[in-house]
Amino acid sequence: MVFSTVLFLFRFLPLFFICYFLAPKRMRNLILFFGSLIFYAWGEPVYVVLMLFSTLSDYIHGLLIEKFKDKPAAKAFLTSSIIINLGLLGFFKYSGLGLPLPIGISFYTFQTMSYTIDVYRGEVKAQHNLLDFGVFVAMFPQLIAGPIVKYKTIADELQDRHATWDDMAAGAARFTVGLGKKVLLANNIGLLFTEISNVGKEQLTMTMAWMGILAYAFQIYFDFSGYSDMAIGLGRILGFHFPENFNYPYRAVSITDFWRRWHMTLSSWFKEYVYIPLGGNRRGLKRQLVNILIVWSLTGVWHGAGWNFLLWGMWFAFFLIMEKLFLGKLLSKAPKVVGWIYAMLVVLFGWCFFSLEQPDKIALFLKAMLGLGEASFISTETLYMFSNYWILFIVLGIGALAVKKSEKEKSFGWTMLENLFLAAVLLLSIANIVDASYNPFLYFRF
Amino acid sequence: MKANKKISKKAIVRLIILGGLLLGLAIADICTPDRLFSAYENRVLASKPKFSIKTLLNGSYTEEYETYVTDQFVARDNWIFIKTVTDLALGKKEVNGVYLAKDGTLIEKHASGDIDAKTVEKRLLLLKKLTDWWENRAADVQTDKNGTLQIMLVPTADNIYTDKLPGNAPYYSQTEFIGAVSKTIDDKYVINITDTLISHKSEYIYYGTDHHWTTLGAYYGYLEWAEKMSMTPVSYNTSVVSENFFGTLHSKTNLVVKPDTIEAYKPEQNADIKVYYDFSEEYKDSLYEDKHLETKNQYGYFLDDNHSFVRIERENPSPESEGKSLFVIKDSYANCLIPFLTEHYETIYVLDLRYYKGSLFSMLETYDTEGNMDILVLYNVIHFIEEFQYY
Repeated sequence: MVFSTVLFLFRFLPLFFICYFLAPKRMRNLILFFGSLIFYAWGEPVYVVLMLFSTLSDYIHGLLIEKFKDKPAAKAFLTSSIIINLGLLGFFKYSGLGLPLPIGISFYTFQTMSYTIDVYRGEVKAQHNLLDFGVFVAMFPQLIAGPIVKYKTIADELQDRHATWDDMAAGAARFTVGLGKKVLLANNIGLLFTEISNVGKEQLTMTMAWMGILAYAFQIYFDFSGYSDMAIGLGRILGFHFPENFNYPYRAVSITDFWRRWHMTLSSWFKEYVYIPLGGNRRGLKRQLVNILIVWSLTGVWHGAGWNFLLWGMWFAFFLIMEKLFLGKLLSKAPKVVGWIYAMLVVLFGWCFFSLEQPDKIALFLKAMLGLGEASFISTETLYMFSNYWILFIVLGIGALAVKKSEKEKSFGWTMLENLFLAAVLLLSIANIVDASYNPFLYFRF
Repeated sequence: MKANKKISKKAIVRLIILGGLLLGLAIADICTPDRLFSAYENRVLASKPKFSIKTLLNGSYTEEYETYVTDQFVARDNWIFIKTVTDLALGKKEVNGVYLAKDGTLIEKHASGDIDAKTVEKRLLLLKKLTDWWENRAADVQTDKNGTLQIMLVPTADNIYTDKLPGNAPYYSQTEFIGAVSKTIDDKYVINITDTLISHKSEYIYYGTDHHWTTLGAYYGYLEWAEKMSMTPVSYNTSVVSENFFGTLHSKTNLVVKPDTIEAYKPEQNADIKVYYDFSEEYKDSLYEDKHLETKNQYGYFLDDNHSFVRIERENPSPESEGKSLFVIKDSYANCLIPFLTEHYETIYVLDLRYYKGSLFSMLETYDTEGNMDILVLYNVIHFIEEFQYY
């Protein structure tokens, strides 16, 4: 099931919350677990077995690692856990057998690996309650698209959590904002990107290519961060505190900065379980640069099996290495806006690799953006597209760069104004969701 | 303690608003009975799928259930309307492939990206094949054959009402296609009405809510045809049959627009018509079917909407038209023009190629053993490129 559907918002969610909050506390994990299974199985009636297998496997591995703590067997069980997880991921994502990718597998395998590794490291105790562990893996808010929650982050909340009215109100608001980001912003600007990415090479002007890639940059940010907001919000209503996943990535003033702000739970996962074990920055500059290359190649590949994702990861590795070598120092002396422009250019060119996938399309876009394409600088089509989307671009720009979360105590009038805004976002999101299925039948087409 | 309570009050208000909206709509949705048909979208809505283990496991049950819930969602039409209005508020110049013209009417968008060069090539070859057949046949028949073959391709509104389009709005230039037609086949076969229509672009020659041309637009096409055929055209003798026509473009956008007026050619003394639909033995005594004026598809008034084959006979043809016959190969643009043509022929055959899978040439030869029959190919350019196909 997907959050931005009528089915989720008006069937699953109300029913789930009613059951969950009416049930006594000790029953809630059971309801959360089975609710999550229904949520997952709705779209993946077969692959839900795979997720349950993964859950059971890492539950047992956790217990075994704990039992053989400080003995060689513990290491063997950790290795086996990692091999099984990476094996599943490798088989379904990278084997090239044409199997449909089980939803969320990249997320839940990473989450369960964080568990067995942390048990091995002695950072958390193994979970003896299978249900509680099942809730950790299957929990529907973050199951499908993150954030990647490490077990230790929510270990306590799995057993005992309490959502105050404030938590729940904040969670509901966060969910609504996330829904709006996904449905109102990402989906609508996505139409422009789709349109431009299908334009022929004779029509793809330089300005149109830039507009297209900018549209994609906004689309992926609002889509992904919107989904994270919805997950964090739903978690908060249930009493969980999931980690933040985005922190105004398009305000970054260097690529190092960008990766501290973009998909933060993934970067932190790689940092903790790959980069630091490889030696991080403690084994000399040369080793550190190699480590950066490894981690960002893996980050790229994590996003998909295509070579373009590898290239995308390495593109960032290159600039991260440059920043470590000399560019970082240079940038820190320059005005912030220089760093910002540099970072945005690197990110935007990076999205070409990420979004277009086929080599000829990528080449076409890169050429057009550099002014080396067949079409001219601008065209009436470009102007027409711009006239249709400029208002949305302004809204997107403000949303991505200027809106600031404030933790200050607000007046009652202000919160009512916010409520009005949230209600409008919710209603407009519903209108967009319903409209997506608008399908007039024109029997008199001819 | 007091501060805490105050915060909670704000939190509760927020939860009531957001939760209430979701829960209220969910309850309203569940309590609303299912609709079978949506007049707004003019289609049958999805109904509750039947459950079976097989459909559950292959994913089709959940998928159909999701379509069902979305199709049947409470106040569905209103949500779609809200979305359209917000699009307009965001400065969108088109909705679902329809331009919002400057004068408040609707014009269908045909972008050049939608037209495939290979398809264009294929249509031109089919035209060439038709004129080649015609020429060979002229040689075969050997009599004092005097039939003609004419091809009239009508540009759509976006090419004529260019001044009304939103600023910089792109459109596929149909003049270029018509030019390519003239290069492929001899000009004697082509009736080019683009310039005529452009000279009348300030008049009501296309509907504002539908993708067809009006009877007036068709009349200007007819005048060009008559000139080419050296015939004396009839005058524009029409009456208004509807003033509340909301056509296809309205269905696509569901915007509040002015309804269209439908006129039809109705000469006073023209009461001797027999119209045979789809090889039926029974005939209708009118070119028009009133019943369509009660439906959404009012353009169906002309020649009873779409039929694969129609034969129109004049009981008492004028002396000049006695014994003459015309074969029209056409799309729906022809339906409001054909009434004018009935003044010039005793028999008119009308063929819609979409519904005819037999051989076109053998059909033409069946109806025209002596080579005296006139042939008219009449399409709008877009339909012609998309659909012109014969075997």
